[in-house]
Amino acid sequence: MKLILSDRPLNLEIEEDDVEFIDLSSLKINNCVGCFGCWTKTPGKCVIRDDAVKIYPAIAKSNKLLYVSRIKYGGYDAIMKTMLERAIPIQQAFIRLVDGQTHHVQRQVALKNAVIIAYGDIADDEKDVFKKLVARNALNMNFEKYRIIFTAESQLEQTVSDEVEKWEAL
Amino acid sequence: MGSIMILNGSPRAPKSNSKRYATIFSEKCKCKTEYFNISKTNHIQLCGKSEEFSDILFVFPLYADGIPVTLLNFLKTLEENPPKNKPVVSVLVNCGFLEYSQNNTAVSMMKLFCHQNGYRFGSVLKIGSGEAILTTPFKILVNRKIKKLASSIACAKYCILQTTMPISSKMFLKASTAYWINYGKKNGITKEQMETMNIEE
Repeated sequence: MKLILSDRPLNLEIEEDDVEFIDLSSLKINNCVGCFGCWTKTPGKCVIRDDAVKIYPAIAKSNKLLYVSRIKYGGYDAIMKTMLERAIPIQQAFIRLVDGQTHHVQRQVALKNAVIIAYGDIADDEKDVFKKLVARNALNMNFEKYRIIFTAESQLEQTVSDEVEKWEAL
Repeated sequence: MGSIMILNGSPRAPKSNSKRYATIFSEKCKCKTEYFNISKTNHIQLCGKSEEFSDILFVFPLYADGIPVTLLNFLKTLEENPPKNKPVVSVLVNCGFLEYSQNNTAVSMMKLFCHQNGYRFGSVLKIGSGEAILTTPFKILVNRKIKKLASSIACAKYCILQTTMPISSKMFLKASTAYWINYGKKNGITKEQMETMNIEE
């Protein structure tokens, strides 16, 4: 499954059936409240029953993943970050070692080839922080491979379209 | 000696470990401190209040490898509503992983906020195994480091500190597994149920 998760609407021509596009800005997604319910009360399910419960299973199933997000302080801006925080039901509370470092055990989460399209007016020091963040995400979100593309907002739709075309060409 | 505004950026601020760390900080600190939870509705009020302090200490947990969205949204409001006299910004961040270094990216994000908005960056305390360490004998290590953090901010001799449980990774896996099994048990959930591979099924 191929998933495009975006923090804003995009005008894309998607020809393949197995590509799902989700505009997070059109959905009702509340903040994670840090209750650990998805680990210790209703394992694998968030106790907040809003639109996020449709998104994190799609994240888990996808093997090709495209995140589109504005960048703020070297991280994802609020719309994408809110969703990523709500995706912890796809992990277990339990800890495993990955390359000698402690990380959460994943539930049924496909290995991912991820592309992160980071947009906005992004200075070099902000890009450096974001690269470090995605390297951490790769370990905690089952990225087998990933690429980061920085782009201006004015170029965003073209950049995303180019990446989707690459998927379709494979 | 100045005064320190403690801002809790945890999504579960009133019941959070961050609040417990903040309480220890207030107890150990020799200068005046005032504690606030960051909520969805008090951003502007906190921005105005920050003018009264020489320092701000942000206390928060690591969320999805970075700062929690609760804190991110507050920083965006602070950017739009800066105090006239900008306090020095210090950070106390904790993660549930053994390695305190897993907090580094969140610290870099806070430094970047300060750099972009003209705040002096102060001290840092990075805590590993932060979900459980206060329930273990290693709490004493945290208390000591928080005391040092408080002293560094009070004296404006800013520094970087860190602590975690002084145990091996394998030992940590055993201890954390027991911790979570016990957590589930309180909710009537077994280890096997917690280990389900199903998501929303």
